[in-house]
Order: sequence, then structure tokens, then C-alpha cells
Amino acid sequence: MQFSLKKYRVHLVLAIVILILGYFAFSRGGWATVLQGFIGGITILIKEIPLLTAAFLTAGFIQVLVKKEFITQWLGRDSGVKGILLACLGGGLIPGGPYVYYPIAGALLSSGAGLGVLVAFVSAKNLWSVSRLPLEFAILGPTITIRRFLITFLIPPLLGLLVEWLFGGSINKIRENVEK
Amino acid sequence: MSSATIILWIIAVILFVFSWKKGTDTVKLGAQSAWNTTKQNGLLIFLAFIIVGFVNVLSPEDLITAWIGPDSGWKGILSAEFLGMLMPGGPYVVFPIIAILAQAGAGIAPVITLITSWSTQALLTISFELPFMGWRFTVIRWSAGLLVPLMTGLIAILLWG
Repeated sequence: MQFSLKKYRVHLVLAIVILILGYFAFSRGGWATVLQGFIGGITILIKEIPLLTAAFLTAGFIQVLVKKEFITQWLGRDSGVKGILLACLGGGLIPGGPYVYYPIAGALLSSGAGLGVLVAFVSAKNLWSVSRLPLEFAILGPTITIRRFLITFLIPPLLGLLVEWLFGGSINKIRENVEK
Repeated sequence: MSSATIILWIIAVILFVFSWKKGTDTVKLGAQSAWNTTKQNGLLIFLAFIIVGFVNVLSPEDLITAWIGPDSGWKGILSAEFLGMLMPGGPYVVFPIIAILAQAGAGIAPVITLITSWSTQALLTISFELPFMGWRFTVIRWSAGLLVPLMTGLIAILLWG
């Protein structure tokens, strides 16, 4: 019982969030709004299935193609600044939402990547994001986009270095945390 | 089909070809690994998308406009960080909302804080992060980035007023 509860902890958290949001939806427009939110979510999910499939295949092939020693050497704890810069480059270039890059980051984690590298990867994905830039440029205009990009440019490598320096030693616990 | 989908399929196919060259066993293992990830996280992803659907229906745009109006300064940056965390959805949803705010006269500093906070601190993203990275990673990454949007806003104020 204890074991299964632990296994479904994240499910539980998400279910509680759904209940809270469902309550808000209900108080705004009754069951019709609740249904609308539910169907809306499922519609987006169905639309994203091609993207999700590609993301999971990419993560799966990375896991079998990239040798553990290679990851440990280039992206592991001892890869230092080089590993973090490499992760920034990878994160900045990969397209897609969180259901794309988190499976990939998870594959890197279980293959031996270091904490700073993973934080740099996720941050670069979110702040450099080459695939998002044209959209940002088109909707928000050149001034906001260029200034935003310049100000946040150094954050992914710096955050990666900071986190590696402060918490780098906890990467094994993080790995166990996921593999359980 | 979005360009992200096309690019990712191209990457997947390239990786498939590399696996194929290494032998059918590698392809099988890769597909197996992908299937395991799907099985383990299928229900979680379903739940996460239901959350996305609800947040879309609740459309907090009015609230957002009320919080960072034209005259913001420090308070605007603080609210922008908080709003960024709550902003739902991908760039197709969020950028148009931010564009409306910018047109309404929101300063460059809160706008930059808002984009940065939504990019790195969005709470909705955590529902995708937890299953793949665990709570330990999530807590470290999220708290380490907490001050970043405020700092970018501050730099923007110093540079561009």
C-alpha cells in the first residue's frame, strides 16, 4: 500500500490541481464549463500526439545510441564548463514543449549527465529556444525580442555553473529519485 | 502540423537510421525504451493536458491586465514574475497575451520579466517536469531560477528605464 502510494504521488498532485481548477470552472459556468475544459485538454492532447510520438522516439533512440561513457565524458559531473556549454547548445536547438524536452532530459539524466548540465539544458531550451524566436519576433516585435534575448543570454550557462557548484553532488540522489 | 513536429520527426528519423546501422537489436531496444516511457507517463501526460484544458477555459487574461498595467516599476516587476509563473500554455497562447499587455502600455522591464518568468518558472510546466526528473531536480532547478526574472527586469530598468 505504502509503495503504490509513493508510485502515484505525482498522479495525486495533478489530480488535486485538476479538482481545484474544475471547481473554479464550475463556479464560473457550471458543468458546461467543466466539460469544455476537459474536452479542450483532450483535444490539445490528440493534436499533440504526433509531436509526443516523435519526442518519445527521440528520447528512446538517444538512450540506446549514446553510450553511457560518452555522456559521462561530455555531459557528466566532470565535464565542467564544456559540458554545460554543449548542453546549452543542445537545449537552444531542440524544438517543442515540455513534453518533448523533459523526456530527453530524463534520458540524459539516466545516462549519467550532471546536474549543472541538465539545468543548463532546460534553461537554454526555455531562454535561447531558436525555434521559438521567429514567433516571438513576429508577435512581440524586434525591440522586445532582441532586448529580452540579450538580457537572458548568459543565464543558462551561469545557472548551470551555479547549480553544479552548489548542488552538483546530489545528482546520484536525483537519479535514484527518478528510477525508483 | 507544426514546424516543431516536423523538425522533431526529422531528428527521430536520423536517430532511427543511426540505430538501424548498428543493427536491428538497437532499433528494437530504442523503440522499447520509447514505449516504456509512454507506458510509464501516459496517464500523467493525460492529466497534465486536462490541466492545460481547464486553465485555457478559465482564461485569466483579464486578471493579468489588471495586475501589470502601464504604471508598474518595482511592483510591476514583482507582479510580472508572479504572473509568469501562472501563465498557461505554450508560446502561441502566451506571446499574444503579452503583446496585448505591451500595446496597453506595459513597460519593457515587466514584459521581459514576464517572458523570462513564464519561460523558466511556469508552474504548469512542472506537471511535465516531475514525472521525468523527480521532485529533487525540480525543486533545485526552480528555486535556483527564482530570482532570475527579477534580475532581468532590474537590468532592463537600468538600461532602458
